[in-house]
Formats: sequence, C-alpha cells, structure tokens
Amino acid sequence: MISYVHFPVLAVMGIFLGAFLEEIFGVHNKAARQGILVATTGIAFLLICALVKPVMFDGEVISYWMGDHVPVSGYAIGIGYEIDQLGLFFALLVVTTSLLSSIFSLRYMERDGMLGRFYVLFLMLCGAVLGLTLTGDIFNLFIMIEIMTFAAVALTAFRGERGFALEAAFKYLVLGSMGSSFTLAGIALLYLQCHTLNMAQLASMLHGNMTPVSVFAFGLMLTGLSVKAFIVPFHTPAADAYAAAPTCISMMFSGMVNKAGVYGVIRLVYVIFRAIDLPAMQVLLAIFGAVTMFIGVTMALAQHDFKRLLAFHSISQIGYVITAAALGTTLGLSGALFHAMNHTLFKGLLFLCAGSVLYSVGTTDLDRLGGLSKKMPQTTICFLIGAFSISGLPPFNGFASKWMVYQAIYAKAVESGNFLYALITVVAVVVSVMTLASFIKVTQAVFFGQCPVSCAGAKEVPLSMRIPMWVMSALCVITGVFYNQVEAWFLRPAVSAAFNVTHYIDVMMGEGTAAAFGISNVKAAAASFSYWDPILWLLLFVVVMAATGIVIITGARERGRILTPEGAEEDGKYATFFSGEKSLPSHVSGSDLFWGFKHDWKSYFRVMQGAHSGIINDYALWVVVGGAIITLWLTVFVR
Amino acid sequence: MIYMNYIAAVILIVMGLYTILFKKNIIKIVLGMSIVDYGINLLIVSTGFKEGGTAPVFTIREFVAGTFFVDPVPQALTLTSIVIGACVDAMALALAVKIYQQYHTTNADEIRRLHG
Amino acid sequence: MGITILRLLFYVLIFPGCLFVTAIGLLLAGIDRKVLARMQRRVGPPIVQPVYDFFKLLGKETIIPHAANKTAFLAAPVVGFVSLVVLMLFIPVFSFSAFSGRADLIVVLYLLTIPGVALIVGGSASGSPYAGIGISREMVTMMAYELPLILVLLSVAKMAGGSALCFSLSDIVAWQEAHHSMIAHWQLIPAAVAMLLVIPAEVGTQPFDVAEAETEICEGPLIEYSGAPLAMFKLNTALKMFVMTALFVALFIGGIDTGIVALNALILVLLCIVLTVLCMTLIHAVTARLKIEHLFQFYWTFVTTLATVSLVLVWLGL
Repeated sequence: MISYVHFPVLAVMGIFLGAFLEEIFGVHNKAARQGILVATTGIAFLLICALVKPVMFDGEVISYWMGDHVPVSGYAIGIGYEIDQLGLFFALLVVTTSLLSSIFSLRYMERDGMLGRFYVLFLMLCGAVLGLTLTGDIFNLFIMIEIMTFAAVALTAFRGERGFALEAAFKYLVLGSMGSSFTLAGIALLYLQCHTLNMAQLASMLHGNMTPVSVFAFGLMLTGLSVKAFIVPFHTPAADAYAAAPTCISMMFSGMVNKAGVYGVIRLVYVIFRAIDLPAMQVLLAIFGAVTMFIGVTMALAQHDFKRLLAFHSISQIGYVITAAALGTTLGLSGALFHAMNHTLFKGLLFLCAGSVLYSVGTTDLDRLGGLSKKMPQTTICFLIGAFSISGLPPFNGFASKWMVYQAIYAKAVESGNFLYALITVVAVVVSVMTLASFIKVTQAVFFGQCPVSCAGAKEVPLSMRIPMWVMSALCVITGVFYNQVEAWFLRPAVSAAFNVTHYIDVMMGEGTAAAFGISNVKAAAASFSYWDPILWLLLFVVVMAATGIVIITGARERGRILTPEGAEEDGKYATFFSGEKSLPSHVSGSDLFWGFKHDWKSYFRVMQGAHSGIINDYALWVVVGGAIITLWLTVFVR
Repeated sequence: MIYMNYIAAVILIVMGLYTILFKKNIIKIVLGMSIVDYGINLLIVSTGFKEGGTAPVFTIREFVAGTFFVDPVPQALTLTSIVIGACVDAMALALAVKIYQQYHTTNADEIRRLHG
Repeated sequence: MGITILRLLFYVLIFPGCLFVTAIGLLLAGIDRKVLARMQRRVGPPIVQPVYDFFKLLGKETIIPHAANKTAFLAAPVVGFVSLVVLMLFIPVFSFSAFSGRADLIVVLYLLTIPGVALIVGGSASGSPYAGIGISREMVTMMAYELPLILVLLSVAKMAGGSALCFSLSDIVAWQEAHHSMIAHWQLIPAAVAMLLVIPAEVGTQPFDVAEAETEICEGPLIEYSGAPLAMFKLNTALKMFVMTALFVALFIGGIDTGIVALNALILVLLCIVLTVLCMTLIHAVTARLKIEHLFQFYWTFVTTLATVSLVLVWLGL
C-alpha cells in the first residue's frame, strides 16, 4: 500500500504518462485511445479525491520533495510539491473538470480526425493544470503554465478548418506567451533577490523585506498570472479561444485553465508575498475585478454566438472571484473560492449544452437557432439549471456564492468606510441582472420560440454526452442547497490555509522557520454569515408547489380541461396568434432582444466593440498597459 | 555585477515588445516574441553570474569546500526557457503559415474575423 | 416538533402565506381598479371583481399551442406564485415575522426577480413572436429598476446598521422601533420616493407596463395563455402589488407596533391600500405608457439619482 503522500505526484505523472501512451497506442486504435483517456483522468480523479480526507478533513499539509532532496541548511535545493487545502481545492476542480470533459469528448469528437494527437494535448493540458495547483516550486509553476498555454493553444487551433480557430489560436499564443514572459522575468528577478525558487522559502524571506526589485517582480508576476486568469484588460484572447476551441476544450478552459490563473493570483498575493492585508493591494484587485465583471457581461450582451457569449460570461464571473478574493477577509475569500467552484460547475454545464447544440444542429449562431426545447428536452433542462445557477437564482449554487460575495463586499465597505466598495456592491448586483438578461436571450433564441428549418433535424445527444451534463446539473443543485456543508468541508479549510502562511512555510522548510523570519499570519476575522436555511426554503417550495398543483388539477378536472395539440394537428386553435393573419414560422432571435437597452447604451457598445478590434497589436498593447498599471501601482503603494 | 548584461536584457525585452506592439506582419510579431524571450534568457543567466567563478561542473569527489563557481540554477532555468521558447516559436510559425494559407495575408489588420 | 410543523404549515398556508396574500392581493387589485375608475369618472367594477375573474378563468379550457414547450409553459405561473408566497414569509409584518432572523435583503432582492423570470420563461416557452418582444421588454424593465432598488436597499441597510453589516429585514424593523421609522429620517426620503417609483415597474402597471402593452403587442408574454395558468399569472400581478407595498412598509414605515398581530396586520393592509392608490392608481390615472428606451432612461437617471443621493447622505452620516 502506497502512502497517500505519493498520490499527488502520481496523479500528475499518471496523466503525463497517459499522454505518451496515447501517442504510442492511441493514434490508430479507437478502443485504446478512449480507454487510456478515461483511465488516466479517472485515476487522477480518484487519487486526488483520496487526499480529501487527510488534507481537507484532518488538516494535514503534505510536503513532497522530488528525489528526496530535502532542504540543506535552510535552503531548498530540490523541487518540492506542497499540497495544502487551497491547492487541493483547485486540484479537485481540475480533476472533476477533466474527467467529465473526457467522458463528454468521447462521442462529441467522433467526427474529427487526428484524435490520437488531440488526446495527447488534452492530457497534457489536464496534467499541466493539475501540476500547477499542487506544486510548491515557483519555476515548476512557470513550466506548468507554459505547458498549459502550449497545449491550450494547440487545442484551440485543432479545428483549424473552421476559419477562425487558427486566428484565435495565434492571438492566444502571442498574448499567452507575453504573460509567460512577464512571469518568467518576475521569477528571474525574485531569484536574484532571494536565490531560491521554493514558494515557502520565498514567502519566509520576502515578507517585511521587500526591495524595490522584488516589488517590481511582484508586479510582473501578478501581470503574468492575470493574463492566465483573463482579467480585463487581458481578457481578449479568452473570448476568441473559447469560441473557437472544440466545446469539451472550452469547458476545460473556463473550468480549469482560467482557474489556474486565479489560483496563481491568490497564491501569489496571499502566501508568497503575503500582501493581501495592504489596503492598496485590495483596492487594486477589487477595481480590476469590478471592471472585469462589468465589461465581461456587457460584451456578452452584444454577442450573437452562443459560445462567444459564454466566453464573455466566463470573464465576467472571474471578475466576481477576483473582487471577492481581493477583500482579504475570510468571508470574501470563502465567497471567491465558492464562486470559483460554482463557476467551474455551471459554466462547464453551459458549455456542454452549447456543445450539444453544436453537435446536433451544426451551428452556434444565435440568430439561426430556435425551438430546440422540443427536440432536445434534456439539454434544455440542463441548460436552464445552468442558466439559473449563473444568474444566481435561489436555490441554485450561484445564488449561495454570489450572496456571500455581496455580503463580503458590503461588509468591507461598512468596515473600512470606503465608498468604493459600496459602489462595487452595486456593480456586482447590476452585473448579476445583466447576466440573467443575456441568459434569457440565449434561452429564447436557442431553446424556446419557433423552430427554423435549419434546426428541424436536431436530435437529443447520445447518453455519454448527457451523463456529464446531468452530473454537473446535480452538483449545481446540491452545492446550492447544502452550501453549509460545502462551506464547512471545503471552503473553511481552504480559506484558513490561505491565511495560515506560517504553517505553509513551516511544513516545507521545517518547524520554526516562519518564526525565525518573523512572519505572522494575516489577521482575518472569522467568517460570519447571516445564515439563511435553503433546505427549509426548499421544503416550503415543495409544499406550496404541491398545494398549488393540487388546487389547479382538482379545479381543472371538472370544467376546465388542458388541451394539447396531439391528434389535432390541423385545428387552428393551437396555432400561434398572429392578429388574424395566417400563422407563419417566425422567431424572435437573439439579436432582436433588449432593444431599448441597446438603444440607450449604443455609444457605450460602439466604443467597446471598437476596442475589441480583433487586431493582435491592439490586444498586446492592452496587456502592456495593464501590466504597466499594475506594476506602477505596486511600486508606488507597496512597501 | 555586470550591469551591461542587465541593460542589454532590458533593451532586448523593450525591442521585442515594440515589435509585437507596432509591427503588423505576423511573422515579425513572432520574431518579437522570440526577442523578448532572448532578453529574458539573458536576464536569467546573468542573475547567476559571479565575478571570477568557474563553471559549475563537478563530480562529488572533485567538490571541495571553498570552490568558487557561478550559480548553476539559473543556467538550468535558461536551458529550460530556451527549449520552451523554441517550441513556442515553432508553433507560432506553424500557425502563421496556416493563417497565410487561409487568409492569403500576413497583415495583422486583416486577420480579424473575430472581433467585437 | 409536531407543533413546529403545524405552525409552519399555518404560516405557509394561511397567515402570512397563501390565503392571506391571495385575499389581500386580490383586494388591492380590486381597490386599484375601482379607484382608478372613479378617478376617470367611470363607475368601475365591484371591488371583488378580480376574485370573480380569477375563479372564472380557473374554469376555462387551457390551450397549449403547437410551438409551446408544455412543461415550462405550465410550470412558469406556479413557480412565480410560489416565490411570491415565500417572499411574503420573509417580509416581517412589523414585529412579527414567520422566519424570524432568517430574512435577508439579498434573498429578498433575488426572490423579487423570480416572478419576473417566471413570466419571461413562460412567455418564451409559448413560442409566440409577440411574447418574444414582450419578454425582451420585461427583461429591460427588470434591468432598469434593479439598479435603483439595490441602491435603496443599501442605503436602508447602512442606516440601520451604522458601522456594522445589517442585511436582516427583522433587524431593520427592530431598528425602526428603537429609533423612528426610516421615512422620518430626512436623508432617506429620496430613497423612499425612488422605492415608490420602483413599485409600479416591478408590478407592471401603467405607465411601466411596456412588457404587456395590450394595444401594441397584445399582452406580450401572456398572449398564448388561457385558463388556469392565465388565472395564476393574473393572481401573481395582484400578489406583487401586496408584496411590494408590504416590503415598502417593512423598509420605511416599520416603526409602528401595537403588539397585537391581528391589529398589526390590519394596519399593514391599510398602509398597503394607501400606498397602492398613491404609487400605482394615481400614476396610472394621470400618465400614458412610456416607450421602453424612455423607461430605461427614466430609471437609470432620475430614480437612480434619487437613490444615490440617499445613499451618499446616509454614508456621510448627515
């Protein structure tokens, strides 16, 4: 029996090994290809889940030195993995996403060629993100980021015949490698200052000891990781890449690739530089988060492609995560992690629904779809669950996390007396309503309304594609209703790990190191919610629903009847009302909705669409300007 | 300390960024990316430099206390970084070729089917 | 345990749940129609007319059109009704609240959107292009009033909480009993006016009934509805009148408490009638329907400014 301390490294290596096996055996043999894929992602899933008990519940932090190169006289000389609760939380998201995505891809990708190569890249992507969340070495982190970007770019370009996939991949590659370069330059400068690459040791040496060079390095690394998290103004490649990649890959992008960036930002700001208790740091990240959520959602309202719309929503939801994480309070970080988790679930679900539509109709253009709810009833239900979750309607999970986020931001506003945070609360609520609006748009344009000719042949997708969708739908409801348990089992350990810097250092570098360097934990008040019991509410909902249903049915039985058009195809009574004209198929499609809103905001939309010009030089300029703002801000305000 | 190396690294990075920002030819943009990479490689390898140090190549028996050598870690990092940079360049050039086949242009202003 | 469940059932089904809400909601709708008619020098229907309408519609045939998705089409009105009932359980009737201490402003804010979402999903599921236009307008209306609404809620929360976070509705009511009603504090008067202007848009009465606009788009989302589901939607509109005015009372006039629940309920109903006449009937009688883009502008400029003024005043601690 292997001790569980080996599990993380086995999971990462297993996935990379699977990638090589895929290349050797999977190129021509379909059974081997699919077997290796599901086996490797499944094994990684089980290995990471086995860590939940020791790490999450028993509170152990695992340190693992590659080749047993333990630190010599206080200096880390080997590459170390350090699995604390925060890392494991993100690792769980990664393995869940990759398992579900691999199951979905089995049938979804069946019409493509070159699948052996596809799955090599697929597994490289999974392994890279998993390694990124588990590693305790900052250069290893960079390597994983590079593998991730590389695999993600290649996967984006996979359906190159679709015209814009290559373009999207190229933009992603240029901006992604700019982000990597910034990160690498930051790492080099940090190494110059501390002569170590171990995160724990860096954390012990940096705090209270920041030179201008290390602040500059901080700025560069924060920029680089923000590019990976697709925070505005670094978000432009995300929209293109998510729309162009095959849908199971888009799901992984929004479920784990941008989470990797978020994880990096949290790790950097909370642990390595331990800078989250500085008000300037909080304000900077909160502003970036608020801008991200607003620009993301308004751009989403202007889209007319299903997947591109979802991509902009991913950007917008990451804004929530960053804003909440920026507060530096326990409640804020809980909300951030919870929302990150929920985003993985519901956005993955929505991407899978988009993929199902693409699979059975062949297009994701909102103006050419319609009336699919009769053809694909299960996809419709899953989509509605996902849409209600992301819009934050109770009792779905998006509500629970957004509710934490609002409370956290407003509590911060009241506590610090800073009016900025009150404004951000308002922005967050308005963004939520706009999210609802754009999902109403998708619901109307794709699933309801009347069926155009192009959708007449649509069928429900195969079972192996429906299973991941149902699993994610169920998780959306479960995590929404039992959010107290989620909070107690996963969020609280992860949040306290993020604040417990001394323990992180001590586990890796030996007991007492943190004290020797004079590091103290960030002070954060314990999270306090005004609890609201969703189970009670759900119970009520069921009771009242049943009562109403009974009243309607018994009331309707005697006189009123429910008439459905089955068997009465020609009866004009069932036709759609057209003011006495002959009933013709006509559908209010996506672009026609929300006219008054778009009219009032037309100058804003004109500016924003001009800004998203599609020209790579402009996007690169955004990255450089954003990086300059972050770096300057930190240089001026962080000591 | 070797200031010349740091200055050269910064100049290279700035030149690379300039190329990415202002050159419209996508091949030149790829070149800009690699120039940034070279600048960073120079930066990393310079961080390990020590005046008068020897090359860090030893076996266990040769290693005696007091041997003065340059820091080996940045050299390993530079090697890794060069390899990664080469892969990125290869992939970017492959994409550029494919884009040229589809769009019949290498002008970044015309490669914008995805916008708005 | 048994007693708890019985009491819970009493809350849910009778007071302040289903029965109470339905009765008062229909009463308010009747009074609204009667007073409106008197303002326009008509005789008007009897006050119980909405009750007659409701039962008559229940007995009619329910037709589900070809293009409709049956499940969503039939479930939407029920979901809307349920969320309104639950909403009423969260709103304290002065010192009495069914779920004491659990009511939360953000929960209320989100529950308030569900009836609108139910209307939108139901209309969308009916497959009619008129309904398509209607839901588009309903959504824009929702976006329009949500911004001032959250500003109003935040200013009330800040007023009641001081330097602590206070999102609980019962705490807000308790604060008003200890101090004065919110409306008696001059800083909050703009917020109260803004809230009064939000109510008709939330309920969907003229001049903010762009989503249903009978004369242009034939009742919009409701166009394909008939029979029992239509009755439910009509009932939902009546319920919204009561729930929104009761929320206003809880937020702004919460300081009156007689100690007797029945008397409190009576005062609540009277206040709700006054508010209905004030912010729905009166405005209805003297205005014509807005265009959707004007509605959006109105809320994001005029009403938002009012609410922001209050928030800033409260924040500055004047």
